[in-house]
Amino acid sequence: MSFDPHREDYQRLGLRFARSLDGQDPASATRAFAGFNRRFSQNRDSLPQSDADRAFHLVAEATTLIDYELPFATDEQAEELIDKGHLLLDEAIALDPHCHDAIRMKIAAESPSFESYYDFLARTADDVRAQCEEARANARDESPERASLEADIAMRPYYRWLATQAGKAVICGRNREAIRIGETLLELDPQDAADVRFTCAIAYAKLEDEAGLDRFAARTKPLVRAGTDDAWMQLSRISLAHKRHDMAEARRLLTRLVDTYPHASTALTSQKELPDGVFARLAVAPFSEDELILAISEGTVLLQEGRDDAGRGVLGTWIVRQTGLAPQGGTPR
Amino acid sequence: MNLHEELMERLARRRSNKLGGLSPAAYAELLLSVRENPQDYVDDASDQAFFLLVQAAERVFASRRDDEFRDDEQFMQERSRRMERLRRDCAEALATAPESAHARLFSVLAADNEPDDQLDALLELDRALAAERGPLTAPESGDAWHDVFLRGRMRVTAAISRTCLDSARYRMSNEHGQALLAASPSDPLGARHTCALCLARLEDEEGFEALDARFGRRGDSWQQLGRVLLFYKLGRMPAARRALAGFDQLCEGGGYALLRPIMVDTYLPDRPSAEPYSFEEVTLAVHEADPIICDVPDLCTWASGQGDFAEHARAFAERNGFGW
Repeated sequence: MSFDPHREDYQRLGLRFARSLDGQDPASATRAFAGFNRRFSQNRDSLPQSDADRAFHLVAEATTLIDYELPFATDEQAEELIDKGHLLLDEAIALDPHCHDAIRMKIAAESPSFESYYDFLARTADDVRAQCEEARANARDESPERASLEADIAMRPYYRWLATQAGKAVICGRNREAIRIGETLLELDPQDAADVRFTCAIAYAKLEDEAGLDRFAARTKPLVRAGTDDAWMQLSRISLAHKRHDMAEARRLLTRLVDTYPHASTALTSQKELPDGVFARLAVAPFSEDELILAISEGTVLLQEGRDDAGRGVLGTWIVRQTGLAPQGGTPR
Repeated sequence: MNLHEELMERLARRRSNKLGGLSPAAYAELLLSVRENPQDYVDDASDQAFFLLVQAAERVFASRRDDEFRDDEQFMQERSRRMERLRRDCAEALATAPESAHARLFSVLAADNEPDDQLDALLELDRALAAERGPLTAPESGDAWHDVFLRGRMRVTAAISRTCLDSARYRMSNEHGQALLAASPSDPLGARHTCALCLARLEDEEGFEALDARFGRRGDSWQQLGRVLLFYKLGRMPAARRALAGFDQLCEGGGYALLRPIMVDTYLPDRPSAEPYSFEEVTLAVHEADPIICDVPDLCTWASGQGDFAEHARAFAERNGFGW
């Protein structure tokens, strides 16, 4: 699911526009709304919006540059993209000093270490929560549907905050913290828009807490997509089997992962480590090759553990050895 | 562990068992005469194999003494040469006594494989030994270590526990370590050290404290380092800072050992002995904890920023003529 900032930008303006039509007769309201899409894409400034809406739009643009274009840029382009992205974020914060997404993204770039970024997120999380909850409380809309969407949008910056904090906790080696933060988020948002359960699965594997992961999986079962475990859960299960030296089971689970995702052998052999999305985990299609690549990248903490001459980590090396036996390149399944 | 002295004990014990019912004084007498002419008392194939292994290990230790004067390339060459020699020695010991637990263990260690492969081999060896001799449990004396003929199997378990740690299997490492503690509560092989690191890695505060309490909170470099790791990982930073200050104060050159880790070669078969809190000990602790420290990527940066930690480390390096 993840967060698509452009969709959220659209939702924000759509909500405000819809509200501006309240009181009009249904026919003219329908007519006016028909023009919304065109105005959104071509003449945004003609739509009613607050400074916070404008700031969020800049965040969406910065996200495109930093999360989606930067990884594919040449070194020269990279600097320009970063500069542009940061100008957008600065502008967003100038427009809306409570633009938590922009603040979080700025600090991500400015923090000298995972530790200091995590520290910042942890220190300020309660304030962010209070401000988001205040925004949610102010959300009053005549239509219950719109009210609920508005309330949800008001909380999303905090959801992203917690999801980022949980991800960084794992990287910092704080797996119990990661699970605690994930649980807070799941309680607030049982639908788990942030997919923080993926991060929790990895943290349970790091703690080698198989019973804990079983309970967690049972509780989050309604969120399982298409009746199939996601790559994060599957990697965690592979890691746990490997860690308890049940190699036959680890092999069986690895085969299942290869069967779940297209071109899985390639992704599992190259084990790319990508920069995390600074806005949120990159939005990719469920069960796509890209999703597996993301999961493997986040699963680096599982793959690259232990003493290993090749520098891939013990599990990473084992996986390469196993997938080396499968036909190279893999076939989409 | 002094392998040479253990050989003497084996030979004396074997002879005493054969003679039957020696008084303590007679046994002491026998031990003296074994020490004088050990070769005269080797009449069992597994003792002969042990004899060969002691010599092989001593050759390795002697060759290691000059490692610090070798550059990287010389070191790698010398290491590969001596491991090759060790493998030949192990093969000879194994040919002498194929059933010897020590010969089989040394052969696995000498193969110098990656942790995953080494663990496979050790577990296979452990299963074979259990099938041949039954489970390893504490004897009536209360401690398996008191039976010199059980030590090979205990060492296999200790090696499994350490190799599990090296291959990122912390729960399994702790379980094997705890099994060894159950069989040998006096823990001369230091299984508790491996357990302490694993429990810290697993963020298991309760288990960590229980282990510390079990050994009367005597403390050592592993405990101190484990405590730093544990509290840092739990995000309890004031406690982590206190633990780091303790590590810095108690472990001689602890900061240097943590910030400038020193390579430690294969244990053959035991962890080298070191005085509590000595620089040698903290060097071993940091080396063993390396996979766990790497998993907390900002730990060393954080530690360097705490009070005089980095300054103490640098001063230690200067005092001892180490590079910084």
